[in-house]
Amino acid sequence: MHNESYQRCKLFLFLILILSLGSISGASAQDGEALFKTNCAACHAVKDRVVGPALQGIENRRSEEWLLKWVKNSQDVVKSGDEYAVKLFNDFNKVMMPSQNLKDDEIKAILAYVKKEAEKVEQPAAGAATSQEPEETGKNTFLYLLIGAVLLLLVTSVLRRIQHMLARTVRQKEGLPEQAPRSRWQSFVHWARHNKKLVAVILILMTLYGSGKAWYGMQSIGISQGYTPDQPIKFSHQVHSGTNAIACVYCHSGAEKGKTAGVPSANVCMNCHKFIKKGPLTGTVEIAKIYKALDYDPDKGTYGPNPKPIQWVRVHNLPDLSYFNHSQHFVVGKIACQTCHGPVQDSMTVASQYSPLTMGWCINCHRTTQVKMTGNAYYNEYHKEMSAKYGSDSLITVEKIGGTECARCHY
Amino acid sequence: MSKTYWKGVEELRNDAEFVRLKNNEFPEHLPLDEVLGEKAADITTTPRRDFLKFLGFSVAAASLAACEAPVRKTIPYLVKPEQVTPGVADWYASTYFDGYDYSSILVKTREGRPIKIEGNVLSGVTKGGVNARVQASVLSLYDSARLKNPVADGGPSTWANVDGAIKSKLDELAAKKGNIRILSSTIISPSTRSIIKEFASKYPTTKHITYDAVSCSAMLQANKESFGVEAIPSYNFDKANVIVAFDCDFLVNWISPIEHSRLYAETRKLNNGKKEMSRHIQFESALSLTGSNADKRIGIKPSMQGAAIANLYNAVAKLAGVSTVNAASVGENQKDIEATAKELWENKGKSVVVCGINHVAIQNLVNGMNSLLGNYGTTVDLDNPCMLRQGNDAELASLMDEMNKGEVAALFIYNSNPVYTLSNSFAEALKKVSLSVSFSDRADETASQCKFICPDHHQLESWGDAEPKKDQYSLTQPTIAPLFSTRQFQESLLVWSGNAITNYHDYLKSYWKEFFFKNAPLSIATEDHWNKLLQSGVFGGALMPAKNYQSSANLNTSADAVSKMSGSGIEMVVYEKTGIGNGLQANNPWLQELPDPVSKVTWDNYLAVSPKDAREKGWLQGNVVQVKANGNTVKVPVFIQPGQMPGTVSLAIGYGRTKTGKVADNVGVNAYVFASMIGGNLSYSASGVEISKTTDEDHVLATTQSHHTMMGRAIVKETTLEEYIRKPNAGNEEELFAVRVGKEEVKKTAKEVNLWDDHAEGNHHWGMSIDLNSCIGCGSCVVACTAENNVAVVGKAEVIRSREMHWMRIDRYFSSDADPKEGEKGDIKKMENPSDMPKVVFQPVMCQHCAHAPCETVCPVIATSHSSEGMNQMIYNRCVGTRYCANNCPYKVRRFNWFKYSDNAKFDFNMNDDLGKMVLNPDVVVRSRGVMEKCSLCVQRIQEVKLNAKRDGRTVKDGEVKTACSQSCPTQAITFGDYKVKDSELNKMWKPEERSYHLLEELDVQPNVFYQTKVRNVEEEKHS
Repeated sequence: MHNESYQRCKLFLFLILILSLGSISGASAQDGEALFKTNCAACHAVKDRVVGPALQGIENRRSEEWLLKWVKNSQDVVKSGDEYAVKLFNDFNKVMMPSQNLKDDEIKAILAYVKKEAEKVEQPAAGAATSQEPEETGKNTFLYLLIGAVLLLLVTSVLRRIQHMLARTVRQKEGLPEQAPRSRWQSFVHWARHNKKLVAVILILMTLYGSGKAWYGMQSIGISQGYTPDQPIKFSHQVHSGTNAIACVYCHSGAEKGKTAGVPSANVCMNCHKFIKKGPLTGTVEIAKIYKALDYDPDKGTYGPNPKPIQWVRVHNLPDLSYFNHSQHFVVGKIACQTCHGPVQDSMTVASQYSPLTMGWCINCHRTTQVKMTGNAYYNEYHKEMSAKYGSDSLITVEKIGGTECARCHY
Repeated sequence: MSKTYWKGVEELRNDAEFVRLKNNEFPEHLPLDEVLGEKAADITTTPRRDFLKFLGFSVAAASLAACEAPVRKTIPYLVKPEQVTPGVADWYASTYFDGYDYSSILVKTREGRPIKIEGNVLSGVTKGGVNARVQASVLSLYDSARLKNPVADGGPSTWANVDGAIKSKLDELAAKKGNIRILSSTIISPSTRSIIKEFASKYPTTKHITYDAVSCSAMLQANKESFGVEAIPSYNFDKANVIVAFDCDFLVNWISPIEHSRLYAETRKLNNGKKEMSRHIQFESALSLTGSNADKRIGIKPSMQGAAIANLYNAVAKLAGVSTVNAASVGENQKDIEATAKELWENKGKSVVVCGINHVAIQNLVNGMNSLLGNYGTTVDLDNPCMLRQGNDAELASLMDEMNKGEVAALFIYNSNPVYTLSNSFAEALKKVSLSVSFSDRADETASQCKFICPDHHQLESWGDAEPKKDQYSLTQPTIAPLFSTRQFQESLLVWSGNAITNYHDYLKSYWKEFFFKNAPLSIATEDHWNKLLQSGVFGGALMPAKNYQSSANLNTSADAVSKMSGSGIEMVVYEKTGIGNGLQANNPWLQELPDPVSKVTWDNYLAVSPKDAREKGWLQGNVVQVKANGNTVKVPVFIQPGQMPGTVSLAIGYGRTKTGKVADNVGVNAYVFASMIGGNLSYSASGVEISKTTDEDHVLATTQSHHTMMGRAIVKETTLEEYIRKPNAGNEEELFAVRVGKEEVKKTAKEVNLWDDHAEGNHHWGMSIDLNSCIGCGSCVVACTAENNVAVVGKAEVIRSREMHWMRIDRYFSSDADPKEGEKGDIKKMENPSDMPKVVFQPVMCQHCAHAPCETVCPVIATSHSSEGMNQMIYNRCVGTRYCANNCPYKVRRFNWFKYSDNAKFDFNMNDDLGKMVLNPDVVVRSRGVMEKCSLCVQRIQEVKLNAKRDGRTVKDGEVKTACSQSCPTQAITFGDYKVKDSELNKMWKPEERSYHLLEELDVQPNVFYQTKVRNVEEEKHS
């Protein structure tokens, strides 16, 4: 069964590969994607109305010429009294789209990207469906196995009864005295006596299995990998960092500066949610909770006197005895957030602990990760020393520069 | 070395108690009997069966509990202040002045909580120095004894009610022209003085009286008489070749000790080929910290100090060829005085005479001496006077008089606790005042007897300004929002005087804006300018050129007054301890647990007596005696203090508090009762003291003195200046040890017989140098370490069991001139020849971070190991508590957590309440029971600096990493650095061919910490 799900997994990965290859085919669309993410994604999405309108089908709604003018200086277009533009301006709370310093072909690239995105809009859904499958299969296999086992047991017991009946009939026919009926236990003991080797093997196997299970079970005590607590606000990382491609450090800005990445304060949320009052998953319900926390009236745009902090549930609980610094890993080590936190942008609607956060997990990474010494003047001298010692840069791992010494994390 | 050091009189006498403690340094008592023994089973309700049941249950419960992690919340800011990043410290420049200690400081805050105080290097006065008390003040902020709201008639009230009541009463009194008095300790804040002035203009019957519990009033008066300037001069110790001090603890207590100690140390350092150092001669009766550092210490009874000064004046006058004054004989001390005068005269203009006696005539003579020596303008600076002591004893006396006559209608007491410091006489007088208001932060001895208490903010919650020296300013800014419903004193006065501005912050800004309008171009009096001032914390004009002054006081009159001083019987000195000082911060457990540098006693004051007197009178350590002087009587334990002048005793102030909080209440006795008004000035000595032994049970003093013995080995290396100049490695000669090679015995250095492999070296190799010549033993580093590393306070009972947790200790050794050969034979008793005036050395000892560490090899679980950066790492979560490492450490620097000191009602100090825990450093683990701990070389600070450098893409600058101890050292005796940086300060200090040496070099454990030989400027004592 494992093999099967593994195969399915492979198939799924292959599918994703094909899809992603497909998505990077057009060169302009690729540029467009980058441009879109840097210039537009803060307020626009392809499918959804965010701060600005959804851009899907924009090429049909407006002419390219109009769009070029609008993107470069929307204010001018509104002032010129363009009917569509004025309506748009009023529809979106009279928030002016800032002028973009983009060249014509850049804007065209963005439009091409938008078109492309709009067209393949069904595909990620298909991907999501596939992603559910391996797990389902796993469950099914187990069910099949269980049914098989039960059937097998039934067949065996029926056969046994038939054998017993036949044996009795034979005895009766031959006139032999009837055997004293054995209790179930007696017959088991009788059987065991005649199959000592088999019993021994079974016992050994059971002991091994039991201790193995216990061993691994005990090792997982205190490890909360996969911990996905309910949060007071159903915040979706997928929508924010995936769909809307907001950089992780936009909210978790502490990761660049200090030890904690930090949960963003509500005023960071308001940078966007002052305008985005409705989300794609939960509508206004969850966003209203931010407003409530800040005692903000979205209709009037005013803050009240009774703000109440949001009590998030902490997902990653590193014990106090270990010191971890985000900026060391993110800025100096140039480790992507996803390395430890997993594909937050793809699959985490609610934040979940992706890695085990055990010391072994830390150490393993320190043993295999090469130190990014080039280009950092801190390492200049040391780099020379270490290169002379190890020859190849790829051998200079974090461990080699003392990264597995106790007092790097424990003090 | 011809000197032998012993750690205390116990070692010298080889007391039974000492031997027991020495052989039992790590007490092994486990409370098993109490739980499992037959007797225990009968008495307690926990017999064995139950015990096993509990055991089984707790194992099950523990394993069940381990399976489920608790849900932890994370609550971000709603609107995050721009400058705050969780996990990153913010620093604010501020000022500490509590009427006693002054320092320009930097405050480290984490997530809005101040957690540590360090010195502001931009300050021209304190130059980045701090002392133990200033650093410990951050814990006083989180003192649960602080008032949480104003108090009226003994019950909690509101500001509106209090304001209403006080204002109407004030108006009523003003209508009747009743006298209003404001009593405060020294105020150095210009804006506060202006507020008091405005208050006085609203209520014209107001008078402001300044009273310092430790008064320098006589100096102010004497300077007025001598030079027409009512001010205390600044002392430039750095320009002095000869320093002569009379009963003056100028390194840790007198006037501006942080400033003094820094300047003093400049003259004692012998780095970079310098071959000169100052000579320090101390005349005193009690062994003060300053006296311990002197090159020559001469014992003089308090009553003879005046005569000694008059004779010294005469000796100098003879050399100067001017007329002498009338002086009483000082007997055998005359020789020393003549010699001192000669040295002073040889260093005319480069010498200084200081005197801590609060007596006008004596101070006049000292002034006369300094002006004869031409010291004004060089070492003594009256043109940039020090503002830190302005107390006027005469005004205090007349206030008391007025109060007793019932002529004071309203009394406002700010930053002063006269009921405690002036005892009952003030309490009686206070009852006759109809409106009494205290601004104390707690219901202390005085405040609790006042009608209203309007609690002031803590320094770290306050706005403010300071003028420690004329025209040198320092600003105070809050580093935390007020914890309780308190209000600044200034704001209270503004409200009551009906000022247009009632917010002190606004007042302060407008005050300085006006100041800058007057003194500088308009353009700089802007908000931006103000912010820049706040950022640097200090500002001020250039120092005035110091002029020479000639004393115009009538010295004959002064000398006559002095010659009338007499003493009889046993004389007593009332002094300040390095930790507790004047007692203002007595409720601070860090200060209570800081061992007194001289006596090494914690958590107590005691009657220090000389060994000679103790022998003669049959007093033993801890005997409780009754002391009677000035009509007051107290019962106090005896402490035998080598160096105490025979015929004198001393007792420290700051103890015997009754209403300051759970930590200090009823700790020790109040010695202020023995300070009396003599000749118009507060005198801190008494004569005719009657001491009688009581039948009370002996008092056990919690001393860290007899613990951690080095067993008489030569660990402090010492030489004289003369020897050092002749031979730079004098006192530090390489020792050879007999080693057997084959059948032959050969002499080799320890290094040559090394069996160990060296460790691989990483990007850094950290190390530390401690200059014993600069170290004055003040204990600032100990408090800094406590604050930085969350070191637990264990309390008196545990200190008695030698379980103090300080990662850093300052060993204090007395020397004797006894023949060391007797000692080598193993009989310490034969060396029993206590000189009454022993030499004293201080040596800070913390983990030496040995490259070949004995602790590392014995740990069965590798909880202590070596890092590639040269540090010996201690990993608490790995430690199982075998204590093998502590037993194998030759320096005895490892500390074992016998208990969980946090959240434990038995250790009811700051770590047992939520408020006190706010001072903890979040980057350092709070250790739990059963693990070993020790100095980590402030690894968290190293890691922080390294990370900053990596993030900025640069190398670590030399001197960028400072450990808590090196940062806080007011004399810069500790240098931290990287051996791998060729021209680092640390490498410059490492000169084994001169003074550098490792502790216990013969073991060749190759410490990364090294010391510099102590050099004394003594001429007459030549060593073979």
